Amino acid sequence: MASEAKKETTSLPEKELSEIKSNFIDSNTILVQRTLRAGQKIHFNGNVVILGDVNPGAEVVAAGNIIVMGNVRGVVHAGAEGNTQAMVMAFRLQPIQLRIASHITRPPDEEEMSGAYPEVAHIKDGVVTIEAFSASGER
Amino acid sequence: MGEVIVVTSGKGGVGKTTTTANLGVGLAALGHKVALIDADIGLRNLDVLLGLENRIVYDLTDVTGGRCRLKQALIKDKHCEGLHLLPASQTKDKTAVSPEEMKKLCQDVAQEFEYVIVDCPAGIEQGFRNAIAGADKAIVVTTPEVAAVRDADRIIGLLEAAELRNPKLVINRFRYKMVQQKDMMSIEDIIDILAVDLLGVVPEDEQVVVSTNKGESVVQDERSRSGQAFRNIVQRIKGEAVPLMNLNQNGMLSKLRRIIGLK
Ligand SMILES: Nc1ncnc2c1ncn2[C@@H]1O[C@H](COP(=O)(O)OP(=O)(O)O)[C@@H](O)[C@H]1O
Ligand SMILES: [Mg+2]
Repeated sequence: MASEAKKETTSLPEKELSEIKSNFIDSNTILVQRTLRAGQKIHFNGNVVILGDVNPGAEVVAAGNIIVMGNVRGVVHAGAEGNTQAMVMAFRLQPIQLRIASHITRPPDEEEMSGAYPEVAHIKDGVVTIEAFSASGER
Repeated sequence: MGEVIVVTSGKGGVGKTTTTANLGVGLAALGHKVALIDADIGLRNLDVLLGLENRIVYDLTDVTGGRCRLKQALIKDKHCEGLHLLPASQTKDKTAVSPEEMKKLCQDVAQEFEYVIVDCPAGIEQGFRNAIAGADKAIVVTTPEVAAVRDADRIIGLLEAAELRNPKLVINRFRYKMVQQKDMMSIEDIIDILAVDLLGVVPEDEQVVVSTNKGESVVQDERSRSGQAFRNIVQRIKGEAVPLMNLNQNGMLSKLRRIIGLK
């Protein structure tokens, strides 16, 4: 996984990829202004901010944090190079699978995940924990 | 110049060919000049659906390969004035045509017809790229199943990448009862994921199969519900605002708002 994140590969068309890559928030963070559809992947060696959804079958892998201003229904992997401090935040967090560093989680089979509010996933006491997002920034 | 609309889906068997045939017949029945292009090369069936199989002399690859003129390959429909079919070749493989050739072909056909509807093969390979090469607009067909919606999403991504923005969605084989029992995805669930405009919802209807076997189209069957759904879609393609038909036979209208024409 770690080496994959470095490559910054994606299945998006070359042109759109360069559009996205020119959309830096800072030198370590990219802004993706679209929904990632099934089969589309973004691997980035930093933070990723998405203005759209991550649909089932789409994948975001970031060495840093992942923030999705939309619905996460695909696969997200924050801290892909081992950063256990990394987090995933989304308006609606309903991933097929969520990974932080080397921790892999999936929603329980019975339960319907996620309420209708923003949530944050991060590692707390050695386990991936999902909590309502609070703007105070308290972790 | 007519407009070229590709009917696509990703997953096979969801109703692309059925949709193509019904929209073609429906538009032609309203007096429009319509050409259907069967781009499912090697697996042709639009001709069978329309009952035109025995009239094929030349096919699409004969036109792109310069072995005949376009006019010679176009087959006039036997029921429907104004409807023509450019059949796919059964034998030659998909690489027999290039996207550039398809683009040129679509342009040539659009010179003569108001609507050109291209029936796309399943998958995302060269057959798909050929079918969309000459299209101005795209219709994506899905059924209310998770796998079909996933493939539709994939296709919408590829269409967007190919500059075919704002594809319109047809949900086919919709079963109200199953959605009620939560055994099938609801229209709202599907739109929530795909985030595209809905062109229409066609109910599951055995009349589709009955008509098909007779070489006819449900769109001309005044009494069938699927026929009504296809007639509504035809109106929306023409740019008219037609409300979504009542999908529950016992009343209760869907609260859906995102129904829109192609224009
Ligand atoms: N609304 C419907 N109700 C019942 N059967 C349908 C409906 N739409 C399509 N079918 C049937 O489903 C099968 C696949 O349809 P087809 O149009 O050939 O799909 P595709 O071209 O996408 O592979 C056909 O046998 C067709 O008769
Ligand atoms: Mg077909």
